[in-house]
Amino acid sequence: MTAFAPQRLSRTIAEGAFLVFCWVAAAIALLALTAIMWSLVSQGIGGFFKPDGGGLDLKIFTMSTPAPGSEGGLLNAIMGSLMMCAVAMVGAVFVGVLAGTWLSEFARESRYGKVVRFLNDVLLSAPSILVGLFVYEILVAPLKGFSGFAGAVALGLIAAPVITRTTEDVLRLQPTALREASVALGAPVWRTILAVIWKSAQGGMLTGALLAFARISGETAPLLFTALNNQFLSLDMTKPTANLPVVIFNFALSAYDDWRRLAWAGALLIAATVLTVTIIARLLAREPRRS
Amino acid sequence: MNAQVDTPPETAVLEIPSESAKLSIRDLDFFYSGKQALFGVNVSFAANAVTALIGPSGCGKSTLLRTLNRMYSLYPGQKATGQVLLDGEDILGPRVNVAALRARIGMVFQKPTPFPKSIFDNVAYGVRLYEKMSKPDLANRVEESLRRAALWEEVKDKLKDSGLSLSGGQQQRLCVARGIAVKPEILLLDEPASALDPISTARLEETIAALKTEYTVVIVTHNMGQAARLSDHTGFMYLGQLVEFGETEQLFTNPVTTRARDYITGRFG
Repeated sequence: MTAFAPQRLSRTIAEGAFLVFCWVAAAIALLALTAIMWSLVSQGIGGFFKPDGGGLDLKIFTMSTPAPGSEGGLLNAIMGSLMMCAVAMVGAVFVGVLAGTWLSEFARESRYGKVVRFLNDVLLSAPSILVGLFVYEILVAPLKGFSGFAGAVALGLIAAPVITRTTEDVLRLQPTALREASVALGAPVWRTILAVIWKSAQGGMLTGALLAFARISGETAPLLFTALNNQFLSLDMTKPTANLPVVIFNFALSAYDDWRRLAWAGALLIAATVLTVTIIARLLAREPRRS
Repeated sequence: MNAQVDTPPETAVLEIPSESAKLSIRDLDFFYSGKQALFGVNVSFAANAVTALIGPSGCGKSTLLRTLNRMYSLYPGQKATGQVLLDGEDILGPRVNVAALRARIGMVFQKPTPFPKSIFDNVAYGVRLYEKMSKPDLANRVEESLRRAALWEEVKDKLKDSGLSLSGGQQQRLCVARGIAVKPEILLLDEPASALDPISTARLEETIAALKTEYTVVIVTHNMGQAARLSDHTGFMYLGQLVEFGETEQLFTNPVTTRARDYITGRFG
């Protein structure tokens, strides 16, 4: 048989079948995503308009969650979610960046490093409801009260492993020559990491932090046991704190149309935020090209 | 050393008189996680001269270079035994301040490694580590270093641009400028031109040639023409040993050892 003989029929069929199979599988995955996005957008957009057709309903951003049948919005939940996510991210970035740096720059393949890396990966995929229960046990129960801080701690525990992992990954991508170049000028290792390695990896590290933020902004389970909810706008994080995911959870299951409308609006709000953050992360991840 | 004997010697190392030696290496062995990479290296490098190290890949020339600024100390598995005397002081000793030592010994690597900072900050980075300078003084130092590295004319109007925006050859000269800005006594160059085109290489070689009046330069190179053009002394290494070391002209025209002769005449390597 020469090199250019026609392909055997059985192979042509196998190749075609495989291709079709891949297409169908991809279509199923996309179909589910599209269906979710469609119902979210179509129902959610409606949530931002007054039910009687009277234009944009700005009360979503100006009023707190209402009693059934009265006017209201999502202000308390939006503020609560923003506060808890912000506090959670401050803690998670601090821990995650330092832990990731340690794993990449110091621990490397040492036994302790391997153990920490493995445990971090376990934590990365731990069910978030377990994190909620854990924080309930260590913070809520002993202090006898749900609080925004407990919620922030739970969210931070979910975000920190993500940041640790991404930080380690992007730092490991930095060329050894860059480290050595700084060290060769007489810079101590800590200075090299701060001024050269972090600087070089900052786009990737920021991406990791934004992805972690996207992850926690929709988490419901850990907040059910920690922040609980609050009908009123409250900036006091030592008290139960309203948040979008739990409001969506409560309102979506209710029998009241106006509550369900707010739940859809809140869901679209989170989805839009996550989408925006993900796009920003993508743009930042495009590091400047090197020759 | 006697070239007239019937059987050529296994090794031949020219003694540099101790008063003109900047670096003296004594009985240096080197190990990568237990695997020996250098075997009993004994040699001195003269001050204000260019010394080239040549030899086939994996012969230990880069390892030798990385011993001279303790770069290997970054890696727990790597170990050197013996002595490396810088102006008579052993830099392999346990109580040496390695960071301060490296500030005295600059290094330029095979691939250009500009920091993700502006051109100015790239050059100022090392200076800021060890010297408190006023802004104009720092600017002068940066300009002086860039001039020495023959890069000033090309970058003087864009010092705020990223160092990564320069071409490969410019980046490598930026790395040279960065290295000499801290006013080291010794400059180690690890195949600095291997990633550069011929024109950039020529410019870099001019730069290096101009530097030797003030610095002790040690250059590792695969390019024998480069070694012949640039250096005063040349060492030929093979399988972790320093086989022959001498005046560059002598080594390239009349090598004493069989292994150096075979390598230089192109019989292997």
